[in-house]
Amino acid sequence: MDINTFIAQFLSGLSTAMLLFLISSGLTLIFGVVNVLNFAHGSFYLLGTYFAYQLMQLFDNFWVGLLVGAVGAGIVGMIIEFLFLRRIYGRAQEGAFQLLMTFAFILILDDVVKFIWGTEYKTIPKPASLVGSLNIGSVTVPTYNIFIIIVGLLVVLFAWYFLTKTDTGKTVRASSLDRIMLGLLGTNVPMIMTLVFGVATAMGGLAGVLAAPLRTVTPGAGVEFIIDSMIVVVIGGFGNFWGALLGALIIGEVLSFGILWMPELATVLTFIVMIIVLIVKPEGLLAKRAVGRK
Amino acid sequence: MKHKIISLFIIAAILIPFAAVQAAETIKIGALYTMTGRGGQYGKDSEVAIKIALDEVNAKGLPGGAKLDVIITDDKNPQYAVSVAKRYITDEKCKFLFGIISTAIGLAVTEVSKEHKVIFVGTDHAGTDLTANKFQKYYFRSANNTFQSMMAGAYYLKDEVKNWKKIAYIGPDYAYGRDQWMELKWGLDKLGVKYEVVGEYWPKLYEPDYTSYITAIMKAAPDVLVNGMWGGDTVAFIKQAKPYGLFGKMKYFHVDAGGNYEALAGLGADMPAGIIMSARHHNNWPETPANKTYVDKFYKAAGRYPSYAAEGAYVGVHMIAEAIRKVGNANDTEALVKALEGMKIQCPEDPQGFTSYIDPKTHQIVQVQAIGTTVKNDKFPPAKYMLGNFKVYPADKLWPSFEYIDYMTKVKGK
Repeated sequence: MDINTFIAQFLSGLSTAMLLFLISSGLTLIFGVVNVLNFAHGSFYLLGTYFAYQLMQLFDNFWVGLLVGAVGAGIVGMIIEFLFLRRIYGRAQEGAFQLLMTFAFILILDDVVKFIWGTEYKTIPKPASLVGSLNIGSVTVPTYNIFIIIVGLLVVLFAWYFLTKTDTGKTVRASSLDRIMLGLLGTNVPMIMTLVFGVATAMGGLAGVLAAPLRTVTPGAGVEFIIDSMIVVVIGGFGNFWGALLGALIIGEVLSFGILWMPELATVLTFIVMIIVLIVKPEGLLAKRAVGRK
Repeated sequence: MKHKIISLFIIAAILIPFAAVQAAETIKIGALYTMTGRGGQYGKDSEVAIKIALDEVNAKGLPGGAKLDVIITDDKNPQYAVSVAKRYITDEKCKFLFGIISTAIGLAVTEVSKEHKVIFVGTDHAGTDLTANKFQKYYFRSANNTFQSMMAGAYYLKDEVKNWKKIAYIGPDYAYGRDQWMELKWGLDKLGVKYEVVGEYWPKLYEPDYTSYITAIMKAAPDVLVNGMWGGDTVAFIKQAKPYGLFGKMKYFHVDAGGNYEALAGLGADMPAGIIMSARHHNNWPETPANKTYVDKFYKAAGRYPSYAAEGAYVGVHMIAEAIRKVGNANDTEALVKALEGMKIQCPEDPQGFTSYIDPKTHQIVQVQAIGTTVKNDKFPPAKYMLGNFKVYPADKLWPSFEYIDYMTKVKGK
């Protein structure tokens, strides 16, 4: 394989990985901190997209749409956590309730989108400054894909700073380790849960808006990548933010080079990687043994 | 006595109109469509077209003053669709099964139709199997199958695309995607076209990210890239491939569903010019009064232009009505089958001088295929490009092909 092919395929994989990471990171954050496996995460991706679409009908500005899409999805996320999910924390059979409730929200939010915006495909154009492509040597890379890679890296940097250098970040990490102890120390744990849920669903919304110029804006689009996101989270380790990054990079690149070398098996490869990880390190590549986790 | 007679007249005068109303039968059609998720647009468009067709049919009248009515249920998946189809027959007393977007669901429901001897008119699913190796006498289809599209495509590649040899394919990894590629290659071989396959790519249905497929295709450098996707997958692929300059480096060829209006609308100004596409119905071709009236009626009813799924549903209702008119009732299924076999039915997509017909041996509607290239045209907003420069392929050159049916039966079984 020549170097140009390698670079082209690597960058394709990287751009796929960054969108996967943006989606999966919210999913894993909710699981790590709130202890909820949010099957409806894709619906927040969808909501973010449609909020952005609506705003862009009024202002025709991608950046306003990006902001409103992310914030709007986050607000809806917080409302749902506060009004519904909070009621089932700590119940016997909480897992089953979580599954039923979050699955119900997939159906509800999907239908809400359909009723408000209809079933026709919507278009969110790229901002004019990100149309076109760049040439790296003889490799062509769309400017927008480079933008997504950069946004992904910025989110990684911001998350690293927030989780390791700020008091709030440390509280969030502590709540993922032992909620009860944190509560006994005087922290308003329910508020932390709601805020984390809001931030994570806002990340879903952000991913939705970022992906929209490349994908199809349609009801149902939110559930399509939930399996891929789950694979990413399983590989990286449930609840592990950095695991989501590693998982997304592995899946993005395995898929990318798999398509080049063995296209017939490309979609199976991600599952093969997941199975290998589950055999070798069932808790995920970056997860530590869960000790003291509530 | 006189009073009694007058009373009887009065009672009779009151009751006779009721009796007449009660005698006017409502003939129920049990339809299944995808109403949610990605395929929901097809279901919604079909629903609008069904209402338009019902208004036309009921206004024209049916034998005995009967009225046609259609019940629509979201089909969800094959198991669920089968249970609804059975309920339609046993509980709702539907005389016909109707609709269905997905070939997988169509294949499941055709078994119900066969078992219960109830006519099933498929209006959108295009898997060739249903009118070939999986043929059963109670199944009829009101839209073309993928073989008709791909055979027309083979003629187009032979006659209209010059100096190509290397060909690659990308299509969804299920029967619809696999069959199109098998059919196109069969058609090219049949026409004696020499070609070399340099890549075959099988993303899953609804794959959101084609970036790595695109760079792999660019590396394979085919002269012609054939795409077998439909709906939103087409939109996503084209949006993602455009900045790579893919459309300038190879001929892009997408003739079963690429030119469907929903994709043209979804892409808007992102649609590249000059790419080769087709669909099972075009809003801007043929420019006949029938097609214009149909498209205008749809727009008036829905506030948007129709995707091709709508025309199949519209034609399907008219097919059933015509069969009932010929037979005189909706109860003699065997006579209705005979009435449908060979039936000529004027469709919005029929060009001047041609009328679509049902092939009596396969029960497949036989229609001309028009393949075009994308040209700027904003008369059907939000689409900014429509198809133009059409090449038209005569219906009888495309179907039936018993040679292909034999081949398909050998490959896929009965």
